[in-house]
Amino acid sequence: METGFTSAEKFFSRISGHEARSGDFVWGEPDMAYMHDVLGPLTLDTMKKINEDNVRFRGRVVVVNDHIYPPKDTTSSNNIRYMSDFARKEGWDLVPFGEGIEHTLLIEKGMIKEGMVVVGTDSHTVTAGAARAMGIGLGSTDMAALLSLGKTWFRVPETTLLNVTGNRKKYVTGKDLILKVMSILGTNGANYRSMEFNIARECNLNTDDDLSIANMTVEAGAKTSIIFNRSKTTDFRNLQSDEDSAVTEIKIDISEIDPLIAFPYSPGNIAKASDYAGTHVDQVYIGNCSNGTISDLREAAEMMDGRKVKDGVKAIIVPATRNIYREAIKEGLIDTFIDAGATVSPPTCGACAGLHMGVLAKGEVCITNINRNFRGRMGDPESKVYISNSYVAAASAINGKITVPGA
Amino acid sequence: MSRVFILGDDVDTDAIAPGGYLHLPLEEQKKHCLESVVKDFAGSVKDGDIIVAGENFGSGSSREQAPLLLKDLGIKAVFAKSFSRLFYRNAINVGLFPGTIKGACDFRNMEEVHFQMEANRIISQNSELDIAPPQGIALEILEAAGMIDYARKLITRD
Ligand code: SF4
Repeated sequence: METGFTSAEKFFSRISGHEARSGDFVWGEPDMAYMHDVLGPLTLDTMKKINEDNVRFRGRVVVVNDHIYPPKDTTSSNNIRYMSDFARKEGWDLVPFGEGIEHTLLIEKGMIKEGMVVVGTDSHTVTAGAARAMGIGLGSTDMAALLSLGKTWFRVPETTLLNVTGNRKKYVTGKDLILKVMSILGTNGANYRSMEFNIARECNLNTDDDLSIANMTVEAGAKTSIIFNRSKTTDFRNLQSDEDSAVTEIKIDISEIDPLIAFPYSPGNIAKASDYAGTHVDQVYIGNCSNGTISDLREAAEMMDGRKVKDGVKAIIVPATRNIYREAIKEGLIDTFIDAGATVSPPTCGACAGLHMGVLAKGEVCITNINRNFRGRMGDPESKVYISNSYVAAASAINGKITVPGA
Repeated sequence: MSRVFILGDDVDTDAIAPGGYLHLPLEEQKKHCLESVVKDFAGSVKDGDIIVAGENFGSGSSREQAPLLLKDLGIKAVFAKSFSRLFYRNAINVGLFPGTIKGACDFRNMEEVHFQMEANRIISQNSELDIAPPQGIALEILEAAGMIDYARKLITRD
């Protein structure tokens, strides 16, 4: 009989004020709640139905207008107004316009901190795991009820512990690690569970890799995630699962992984990227909350430096935050993209969810470093999306077909 | 009696509530519900119909529009071998019954069936299917017709 606590049990014990064990239903108050311009308006509408003008939630509430920013039409513009006016009235944190995509931004700004439990009206709230916080996505009504009641209910998730060791090959990134995990767990292998990663220092993965790993755990169904990356010297024992806790363990040797790809129409359809080499592409999209980081932009620039995007290919690059954008300008990466003939967009969710700024036409094929390739995800239901790391996506832009560098 | 729409595995939230229409009013979004999976779903679905699907129904986004559109279009209950966590929770919150199927489904697409809620069973002329209903707090919320009424009750009780 295990007596130690899993990481999730520690986090949920704290916010519920009781000893919480996997499978228990508990009520608790998260430390922070955030919402955005597409799924936020329904939250506010619902709040009014529950309890007009009475917010009992005492944690921090943050509004980020990132999904359709800059607004593309009057409806999206009205949504942003609605969210912003409401936030100002309630005294919530309204993140300045154009600062970036919430999941990446709130970590960058230090608003999501180690040890916190945060909830968001967005499934990729799990990205908080990269900051060693537990992020949990909620629907709009759940969020409205939390804000009105000051608490919400959770089922304490069981834990899948992924122990990662080995030296990664050149052109293999955190994206390939999480795609490898998808190949093991499929699209629901972690359903309702917490995915905890223990990444050895020798893997040589950085905090941007952590972000892309945590972000896609929801694609395996995870409720939350937490990443312990040994490249940092901190002692995480107070947050990690205890040795004698009840976890399901999976071991992964990253040295055995080659660049991978998720082919249409599921992030669980995993193959070696080289299996799809030569596939014609119409668009390349580098950005989003999982892989719009400075590391991704550096990797893409390495592939595009001194080269030209293939005629007829739309190459769209979206830094996830304004600071990443600024850093990319300083490092000359933006010049590299412009010289190569790519389009650089301001930080936004953009075409990642088929919203704006690069929506795919019927029959078009896109390779991208985003997190989902469901049918119709980036536009027309007859379009096709392949997911890869940024090296592969950028190299494919140059050749107009799926290309694996170094292969 | 209900007509049953039979769907496969991994019906995701982009299929149920496509992202490109999410910023528009629900009336507009409804027209595109499941359009990439069932031809003219919005036009053919009738009040009281049910869905029986495979594994991982509602995977992907936290968008509550997914269960909301189904419910608004008249879908009475959704049954699946398994649900994604967010869809399951959202369905309960908006008062759409999610039942987990136990055993193999022999229904034909669009066949007339009867959902016997008290018996946790769906029956057709030739076959039947046992289901597991939500439990605990989830069931209490569902019995209150959704989270809005449940939360209102909690507030007045305090
Ligand atoms: S970038 Fe894409 S996946 Fe991330 S929050 Fe925006 S729409 Fe969702």
